Amino acid sequence: MTEKAHPVSQITEQLQNWGKKHDTEAGNVLLQLVYDELHRQAHGYLRKERVGHTLQTTALVHEAYLKLADQKSVAWEGRSHFYALAATMMRRILIDYAKSKHRVRRGGVNSDLPLEDALTVAVSDADFDLLELDEALTRLAEKDGHLAKVVELRFFSGLDVVDTAEVLGVSESTVKRDWAMAKAWLHRELTQ
Amino acid sequence: MPDESWQRVREIFDSALLVKPEERRKFIRNACADDYALFDEVDTLLASHESSESFMETPAIAEMAYAIEGTGKKLENGSRLGHYEIIEPIGTGGMGEVYLARDQMLDRQVAVKILNERFSDDESNLSRFIREAQTASALNHPNILVIHEIGACEDAQFIVSEFIEGKTLRQILKEEKLNFPEVLDVSIQIANALSAAHDAHLIHRDIKPENIMIRPDGLVKVLDFGLAKLIEQKNRSSLGLDNSTALNNISAEGMILGTVNYMSPEQAKGDFVDERTDIFSLGVVIYEMIAGHAPFDGESTWETVANLINDEPKSLSTFAINLPEELPRIVSKMLRKNMDERYQTAKGLLIDLKNANQDLEFNDKLLIVAVMPFVNESSNADVEYLSDGMTETLIRSLSQLPNLYVKAHSSVIRYKGETADAQTIGKELDVQAILNGRVVQHGEQLTLTLELVDARSENVIWSEQYDREQTDLISLQSEIALDVSQKLRTKLSGADEAKVTKNYTANREAYKFYMRGRFYWNKRTAENIRKAIEQFKEAVDKDPNYALAYVGLADCYAISQEYLGTPTSEALPQAKAYANRALEIDDSLGEAHTTLGLINRSLWNWAEAEKEFKRAIELNRNYPTAHHWYCRFLRAMGRPDEALAEIKRANELDPLSGVILGNLVQVYLQLGEVDAAFEQCRKAIELYPNYPGLHNSLSYVYLKQGRTAEALAEAQKAVELSNRANGHLSLLGYVCAVSGNRNKALAIVKELEERYQKRQADGIDIAGIHTGLGNKDQAFEWIEKQFQNHSSELMAVKTEPVFEPLRSDPRYKDLLRRMNLPE
Repeated sequence: MTEKAHPVSQITEQLQNWGKKHDTEAGNVLLQLVYDELHRQAHGYLRKERVGHTLQTTALVHEAYLKLADQKSVAWEGRSHFYALAATMMRRILIDYAKSKHRVRRGGVNSDLPLEDALTVAVSDADFDLLELDEALTRLAEKDGHLAKVVELRFFSGLDVVDTAEVLGVSESTVKRDWAMAKAWLHRELTQ
Repeated sequence: MPDESWQRVREIFDSALLVKPEERRKFIRNACADDYALFDEVDTLLASHESSESFMETPAIAEMAYAIEGTGKKLENGSRLGHYEIIEPIGTGGMGEVYLARDQMLDRQVAVKILNERFSDDESNLSRFIREAQTASALNHPNILVIHEIGACEDAQFIVSEFIEGKTLRQILKEEKLNFPEVLDVSIQIANALSAAHDAHLIHRDIKPENIMIRPDGLVKVLDFGLAKLIEQKNRSSLGLDNSTALNNISAEGMILGTVNYMSPEQAKGDFVDERTDIFSLGVVIYEMIAGHAPFDGESTWETVANLINDEPKSLSTFAINLPEELPRIVSKMLRKNMDERYQTAKGLLIDLKNANQDLEFNDKLLIVAVMPFVNESSNADVEYLSDGMTETLIRSLSQLPNLYVKAHSSVIRYKGETADAQTIGKELDVQAILNGRVVQHGEQLTLTLELVDARSENVIWSEQYDREQTDLISLQSEIALDVSQKLRTKLSGADEAKVTKNYTANREAYKFYMRGRFYWNKRTAENIRKAIEQFKEAVDKDPNYALAYVGLADCYAISQEYLGTPTSEALPQAKAYANRALEIDDSLGEAHTTLGLINRSLWNWAEAEKEFKRAIELNRNYPTAHHWYCRFLRAMGRPDEALAEIKRANELDPLSGVILGNLVQVYLQLGEVDAAFEQCRKAIELYPNYPGLHNSLSYVYLKQGRTAEALAEAQKAVELSNRANGHLSLLGYVCAVSGNRNKALAIVKELEERYQKRQADGIDIAGIHTGLGNKDQAFEWIEKQFQNHSSELMAVKTEPVFEPLRSDPRYKDLLRRMNLPE
């Protein structure tokens, strides 16, 4: 994974294209850019370079955004798309990370990160495997893509209800309803 | 699920969330109408919703970072930390990894907790923590964890404490619910620790289940005095928040997440805290031990805090029905938002808790519950026997539990098809809780909905739905029995658990036949007993090791002389063989021993009979038939006082059984307590105006009172209601005889003699009429005939009032001697 910084103007342009015209090409380029940047930052968090300071994902995404795009020159639509995209990216990054730890363990490498610790996070009172949650979320997306999006934004991207509503262009009460439904559905999947 | 139905699920789910939680189920039941797949989908989602409050509320990356960070300082087994040799990791605490280690200097096992650097790099806070921890330790209190040392090695700070083999209260609560004596015991020990610490001006500040260890022997240790303060300080400084409130800490970091449930309002607001914050937190812990969840749970941390500051929690009495009375009051006083209204000292709290504990010990409460006949909501009449049978199986299973009285089947069956409210039923049956059930069948699919209702408040304490294929019936029985009993907070020892879930057969067909058999048996008429025999035979055919079905057969044959007139010599050997077969399979079957008691009584094996009855009661003291039949035995033995105690017990267990009520009247008569007999009989007839046995008993009572005309009317009524059954016809003949209507008496004698020829009547019924007619010789002839036939009913000569005139005759004494009966 490259850690080379991308010129701000390039990102802004791609973001605008993608946001306005749903340009697939631009989307792909952007995807890569966002992924790289988020990955670089998330990796830092997870290597606990920053533990003890703020752990808010939202901050991380904001930072990535600031790095990637010049806010003023991006239409609001583009910005909201960016957050939606970043949420999907964050999901992918975290799941990749969890999987990589899984591999280390499987390969018998003398890792100091046992499987349980790397993959099982205290998602609630009971612990759930992040990979299982990811799979369940994929199933939810088949049923109801909108709900899955809400989960990505809220859980993987750490957005609050207000921000989520803004990104999705729906009311806050809609987000609350979606969130309750998604949680109940996923929780049932994981506990059944 | 297709799109449309997904939309429908969403609509109903969304709407249901707008309804009060306790009404949601009803709401969706209506909304889904007959669509059971839909109902099930929404219902399971709602259940999931209720248990997913904190689920995914912390962003994934924060959770992952925590998970990874927690493993940051791993020590290898066998590695050294000063003079401590690490043996193995034993857990991860909020502040870091905990290891079992050996102190090589003092040669003892210790626990070593490595502090994460984020908590330990501030000198002033750390030294404050050390001071507090050492003070707590110096108290040398049995309920406070002793800290041996706080040290530093390389860049790691660590705390060395005594090693406690045990579980945290959190772990225990995850595995099981504690019973009330246990809750009180744990609470008292924590209050003890707090009392000692508060005396030394030490505040814990973070009382929660994670900080309470319980050793297998029950000793409680409170951990981490002073540590909370260290974390709090650390959080504030690292965030640069000087006048921060806990709320700010949470929002900024989520670090105290999980603790917020146990905070006092003043703590959450960042106000001044003193000893009384610990009292509040302990209140939360006690509440959770009883209710199963913390009192101020919210959907998010914010909501929890808002609830904590603004809302009053539901009273504890809504979560448990046989709660020690004082406990809800004590906990509510602990949870007062205004600290001036709380217990002001841990000592004051301790006194109240100890008093409550004493009350509990004095009053080892029994919980009395009635399992109502399940309502069959399907139009299929075939499900009828099934729902009746399930009611009975559940009663049987629950009866096995200690401290639980379950009202007998015959007591509740009269409510079948009736809609009575819980309060009325509670009063009538004198029960604290009522279990309602509804069975719906859709093809092979059965849906059973259960509701446990507090009889006084009518609150639904618990409800559950079970959807099963009919093939799963047997496991469903166990599941329900176990579920309900756990809900009733009855502490199940391992052995009791096995009793409750014991199924006796794994064969679905056999089980069905058995259920049908009991359905017929309970009706107790000649025709139904024959049908019951057929069903039980089918059951053992399907499963030759089905102990309860053999008991069913044994029961049918054992009472067949009484109801079918089958001679003893035919019926009893069969009954005995079946009962013994049941016991070969399961010697601990109280029901089988009860039947064997009856058989031995009928065979005049008195000593053996008593042994069996006693064994039966020892094995299942909640089986009313055991007490009922034992009573009849005791009457024959001339022990009416004991008989009264037994029949009263049977009546308590099964207050609405007509046959037991009739027996109660008989015992009073035997004791010469005519007024009590009359009163009892009158009440019973109010309950069962059409039960022939009760009119029979009342007729006896009137005879004793000299009210012959009324006695005649009652005897006549019994005959009519029973469709001229032997016993009642015999009484009518007797009353006719003693009231001067000899012709009618003789006509009845003739009718019974004809039946006797066809082996459909017992000669003892004829002897009774002859006694009334003053034909002592003929009476003794019939008695002798029945002696030769070894009639199981012959002991009536000794117990029934009609035979009184015979008892001064030497032939009577001779009979008792030959029957080996005491005088």
